[in-house]
Amino acid sequence: MRLLYVTLLSISLFSCKKEELGPQCINCSNDSIESEAADVLILNEGNFGWGNGSISYYQPHTKTVSDNVYKQANNNIPLGDVVQSACQFNNKIYVVANNSSKVEVVNSSNFSNIASISGFNSPRYFLPVSYSKAYVSDLYSNSIQVVDLTNNTITGSINTNGWTEQLLLYNDTVYACDMSNDNLLIINPSNNTLVDSVKLGVEPNSITKDKNDKLWIMCGGGFQEDNAKLIRFNPQTRTIEATFIFSNINQSPSSLIMDNEKEQLYFLNNNVYKMDISATSLPSSVLINNNSNTFYGLGVDPINEDIYVADAIDYVQSGIVFRYSSSGSLIHQFNVGIIPGKFLFIE
Amino acid sequence: MISIKNILILVILLLLQGFVFSQETRDTLQLKTVLVLESKVPAAYKSTQLDSSATRQAVNLSELLNSSSPVFVKTYGSGSLASVSFRGTGANHTSVLWNGVTLNSPMNGQVDFSLFPTPFIDDATLYHGASGLINGSGALGGSVELNNATSFNRGFSTTMQQSIGSFGNYISNAKISYSNQKWLTETQFYFNTNKNNFEFTNVAFKEQPRITQQNANLKQYGLQQAIYRHLKNNKLGVRFWYFNSNRELPTSMLSMLNDDVIPANETQQDESYRVMLEWSGFTSKLNYRITSAYLKDKLIYKNNSSSTHSTSNTEVFDNKLNTSTYLNYNFTLKNVLSVRYEQAKTDGFNQSHSRFNNYWLLGIDKQIKRLNLSVFNRTMMVSDEVQMVAPSLGVLYGLTKGNHLKIKANAAINYNYPTFNDLYWSVGGNEDLQQEKAEMVELGASYKAKIRSTVFTNEVTAFYSHVYDWIIWLPTNINIWSPTNLREVENKGIEYSLKLNTTYQKLKIKFNGNYAYTISTNRKAKNYNDNSVNKQLIYVPYHQINYTLELSLMSFQLSYNYNYIGRRFMSTDNNWYLPANYISNVSIAKDFKVNSKTKLNGSLKVNNIFNQDYQAIAWRAMPGRNYLFTLSFQFN
Repeated sequence: MRLLYVTLLSISLFSCKKEELGPQCINCSNDSIESEAADVLILNEGNFGWGNGSISYYQPHTKTVSDNVYKQANNNIPLGDVVQSACQFNNKIYVVANNSSKVEVVNSSNFSNIASISGFNSPRYFLPVSYSKAYVSDLYSNSIQVVDLTNNTITGSINTNGWTEQLLLYNDTVYACDMSNDNLLIINPSNNTLVDSVKLGVEPNSITKDKNDKLWIMCGGGFQEDNAKLIRFNPQTRTIEATFIFSNINQSPSSLIMDNEKEQLYFLNNNVYKMDISATSLPSSVLINNNSNTFYGLGVDPINEDIYVADAIDYVQSGIVFRYSSSGSLIHQFNVGIIPGKFLFIE
Repeated sequence: MISIKNILILVILLLLQGFVFSQETRDTLQLKTVLVLESKVPAAYKSTQLDSSATRQAVNLSELLNSSSPVFVKTYGSGSLASVSFRGTGANHTSVLWNGVTLNSPMNGQVDFSLFPTPFIDDATLYHGASGLINGSGALGGSVELNNATSFNRGFSTTMQQSIGSFGNYISNAKISYSNQKWLTETQFYFNTNKNNFEFTNVAFKEQPRITQQNANLKQYGLQQAIYRHLKNNKLGVRFWYFNSNRELPTSMLSMLNDDVIPANETQQDESYRVMLEWSGFTSKLNYRITSAYLKDKLIYKNNSSSTHSTSNTEVFDNKLNTSTYLNYNFTLKNVLSVRYEQAKTDGFNQSHSRFNNYWLLGIDKQIKRLNLSVFNRTMMVSDEVQMVAPSLGVLYGLTKGNHLKIKANAAINYNYPTFNDLYWSVGGNEDLQQEKAEMVELGASYKAKIRSTVFTNEVTAFYSHVYDWIIWLPTNINIWSPTNLREVENKGIEYSLKLNTTYQKLKIKFNGNYAYTISTNRKAKNYNDNSVNKQLIYVPYHQINYTLELSLMSFQLSYNYNYIGRRFMSTDNNWYLPANYISNVSIAKDFKVNSKTKLNGSLKVNNIFNQDYQAIAWRAMPGRNYLFTLSFQFN
């Protein structure tokens, strides 16, 4: 009997050796990565508060994928969550971790961390407006943050009245999607002031520019609040030139992307759709059918126009990415990190 | 006088019914024999009784279950939200009964176990799997029963307790009671404040800084009052509970790089009122308990960064009629009728919602020599949905004459209805949800032996359950999170418990250990790329071990508690996991007898004595070695 006690006690005493701490990955590659132009970064949001956001690295020519390249390149330090977006600029990648309230500045060739910009509330998108300045939109702070890129600190903010989403720089003017007030905000970056705001449809979520220098904005319509709208906007006259209305109120399109020639629009609306900028109506046929997947993220390769679509499956497991040709035939599918949401094509 | 055999039958009934022995034993002399007989009583269902020494060691219920039971406690840290799950089921599959009143929130179906200070309850019993059905709760996983004793004819008694612990923890508790043959009154106060400003190594940053946990303040206070009247063979009483908790919700380690003091971003305030009327008693043919309770809970959640200020109010009327009729000395008819009205109002709903959530349990229990047979059926009525049949069948057989070796088996079908959040949350709530359905079987054996001064009890139980239409929340095509009956879950495993009591000269040795092995897998794919099929559910450890070794010598007591929680997966494809953690706690106590009426007890508890770094939930900081010194004073 006493032997039993001694055994049990010794088991517990011996077990207090130094151990692994925090979340561990079973099936993650450990090779260090040297990134090359034309390769693809997949930004995996991770679960809210779980710290499991990550970056997967995909090489289209060899069809190989490496997960957790940020963690590997940075002594297993987690990237944070929710990894919302990223932007490549000046040999750096700026990764926005929304719930971790930070932007990580990463070396774009080996993913090692250069700096961490902190002090945000709930950052969404990062837009460099000059070599030394960037804007960051925000979900909760009622402002767009102004970042000094020389010392990676927040130096100011531009008041907005609510949630700002995607940003676009054109002709020394910044255009911001104002989700809360259904506006397009027009900002002068030389003095960080809001110049004008133009009413769009409900919840403008993404913005892009075509070859004719027209802006295209997708308005998701909210949750059965209004029909979703695709809007063509003339930045010179600051007027809406065309509005394409989605007929079904349950539809909530997103992820508006322009191809490299700036002639074709791609967007997600349960399935993937493609629309010519000269079209007079919304596309009636599907480019890529979701086949009972839930498409969550969309990317279009600027070089070969391959289309990348992400499915987060149950949002708590490695998501899947489908790579299609521009005509919509499947080239490859592969697993990435948890909740793949955005794609970044390395230049 | 009731014969011994009758008492035995009574005990079976009491056990099945969820009556609590300690409560009844103090009532009458006849029932005092019950306590002696209790351990010999066969029961076809698995239950775990948490004894008073375990209860004393823990600050709150979450800590108690974590250290001394085979259930899994998921906690964000000391004083933070803690939920409990049995055998791989969800936290909303665990029902909690307080003196027979179901406490689960109509909004999320859960109970926060950190809101139950152990001094406010006298004993706790866990009912695993289908036994949760028989005691009336109807939970898919199991149920936790918390009870208060009502002891008459005890005169005046005062208990005062003061604890001082690490990280600014102060706990005060006082209980004043008086009872004569007819009346009992009991008043209890509780106060707990904890800064929780412990130091930890933040491994989320490459510098691995040693930093202090911020914004984890906790303040709780409560009051409990009971008044009971003892009549001939019955008692009538009222019990009131008030509890208020105010806590800051610390951020994860990922957003804590330094010791800069910033205001708490998230806070949560909970307030609960409970009033309960009880009338219970027995005749030679009937045993009855009637309870009627009103529960009112309020939760205020604030988040500064998102400017959220959300208030949730729930109200519940819970009425139960619980009878056991002895048709003859070995044949009993058991009947439970529960009428429950639930109402919830929150910023998360477009309007307030209410429903009836009723059930009727009817069953028989028969003893045929060494065989005990029980057959039960539950009929449920939730809103306008009626589920007529939810049966359970249990068999127990004593293999040896003295009932040292017993085998048991049971099988049941049960249903769990969607909560108000599942149905009505705006946006996302789904009014088309079906109830979850569970089919469960259990097989077990127990062996008890006494060799000289050593009493040895062990029990092994194997369980299997299949839950259909398990509700999960997932984003839809338009990125709205919404619940569906998508999942199908299979749970199987083994629970083993070992109890040993022995003496060596003047040394008393007590050992109490539990082991649980749980395989809990998803059986249904969302689509053809879903890699979660046949994988372990997240945050369900395969292995869990805990044991307590207690040594008493004269007025000294030394206790060692060991707690192992195995690897838990964090992703449904089982690619990510949190490593196992093993925590040891030691406590030493001494009784001082001041005079015949006054007792003093001093104890020092060292939690996490080996100062282990660990995470119970990913990236949530946990305290290293910490101390709690307690002085108790009892005057009778």
